[in-house]
Amino acid sequence: MEDPDSSPELALEKDPFQLTVEDVYDISYVIGRDLLKIGSESKGQSGRISELQFKIVRVLELLEAMVNQCSLNVEELKMEKDNLKKELERVLSEGARGDAGQLNLGPDKQVIDLTDPNRPRFTLQELREVLQERNRLKAQLLIVQEELQCYKSGSIPPNEEQFVTMENGSTASSTERAAGNNEYTMIKRLFSFKPGKQA
Amino acid sequence: MLQLVPPVSKNRIISDFPKWYTPEACLQLRDHFHVQVRAACQQRSTGTIGLKMSKVVVVGDLYVGKTSLINRFCKDVFDRDYKATIGVDFEIERFEIAGIPYNLQIWDTAGQEKFKCITSAYYRGAQVIITVFDLTDIQTLEHTRCWLEDAQRENEPSSTLIFLVGTKKDKVSSAQCERTEHDAVRYANEMQAEYWTVSAKTGENVKEFFFRVAALAFEHSMLKELEKSSGSMTQIGAGSLIKVEKDEAENVKDSSQTSISCC
Repeated sequence: MEDPDSSPELALEKDPFQLTVEDVYDISYVIGRDLLKIGSESKGQSGRISELQFKIVRVLELLEAMVNQCSLNVEELKMEKDNLKKELERVLSEGARGDAGQLNLGPDKQVIDLTDPNRPRFTLQELREVLQERNRLKAQLLIVQEELQCYKSGSIPPNEEQFVTMENGSTASSTERAAGNNEYTMIKRLFSFKPGKQA
Repeated sequence: MLQLVPPVSKNRIISDFPKWYTPEACLQLRDHFHVQVRAACQQRSTGTIGLKMSKVVVVGDLYVGKTSLINRFCKDVFDRDYKATIGVDFEIERFEIAGIPYNLQIWDTAGQEKFKCITSAYYRGAQVIITVFDLTDIQTLEHTRCWLEDAQRENEPSSTLIFLVGTKKDKVSSAQCERTEHDAVRYANEMQAEYWTVSAKTGENVKEFFFRVAALAFEHSMLKELEKSSGSMTQIGAGSLIKVEKDEAENVKDSSQTSISCC
């Protein structure tokens, strides 16, 4: 009565958590076939049979939905598992690399995170140079401000006696004033120190 | 070749010798200019005078208020927000002391350990070392010893004037201030320093302190010059008093470049 080659019946023997949507269709095929058989064999009962058939279809639909949902969940969990596995591998390999790095570092060494936007970048020498440049410019600024103040206040009439320093370090009055490299002299005034020379 | 210098601001004129903060720790008790110095200053009109300048370095732990102290005096401002000094900074303050123009070149240094390799290069050639600590943090007082040692290493100890300054007076009670001052005076005596308590926030004692620094540095270098010139029988007041010698000037010229680059 049953065809051994077509094995939709096998679906009925399956583990419920292994069930696929195809299995549900197989089951519905088997049940539908049996219902048809019963219907043809018991005339006069068709009303009750079709009622039962309606309920069975409903149950099969429910089963289909549940199997579908279940397989989706399984798929998601599988992906999640794969991701976690990859993450774990990455962390492990990084840790191993870190350990290896630390092994190579001496006690005075430091690890720099190249992705840190605030990481140390410039050398001591570069900072020194920037500071020297800043100091030089600040000295120049002070000089210019002083001179500007002189001109603004009009406190420098051409023939008034001024304390002025010549490049050779001696002093002179403004009557001897000459055009020249003002800036250099002024810088020297600000910075003309010889260590140990003065008190 | 020549320079223009505006007149010294009225609030930077020192005619009477500024007084110490406490007689228990001061560099000198005298309340007037040294007789020889006063005499030399009075004779200045007979000779021409070159500008004199002393180098001052300010050292101490981070966040004790070195920059605030300097800014209060030089710019009369106080910034509540803390901004760590990067490396070094400087200010030039022009004085007229006993009628003679005199400048202080004040070097502000970073207190952070990581900048020491930079700042130590600027200690060289200092006539005045100001070690600063925070009255609210006794550890910073303890560290002044190290700071002084570091600064002195670059200088001849006998040629520098040393000051010990306790800052943030506005933050301590008078009882606490007294206790800390007691310790600080002991430190100052050990360091052969003059002690001052100040507040950059309120401005208390800041001007008095820097006037004292300027006057002592001025007199110190004047006496040095006088010693030199009397040794070589040079006439005082005839332009040789604080005029730079020709060969010296040449040296200065040669070293000016390096001075800039290392200072």
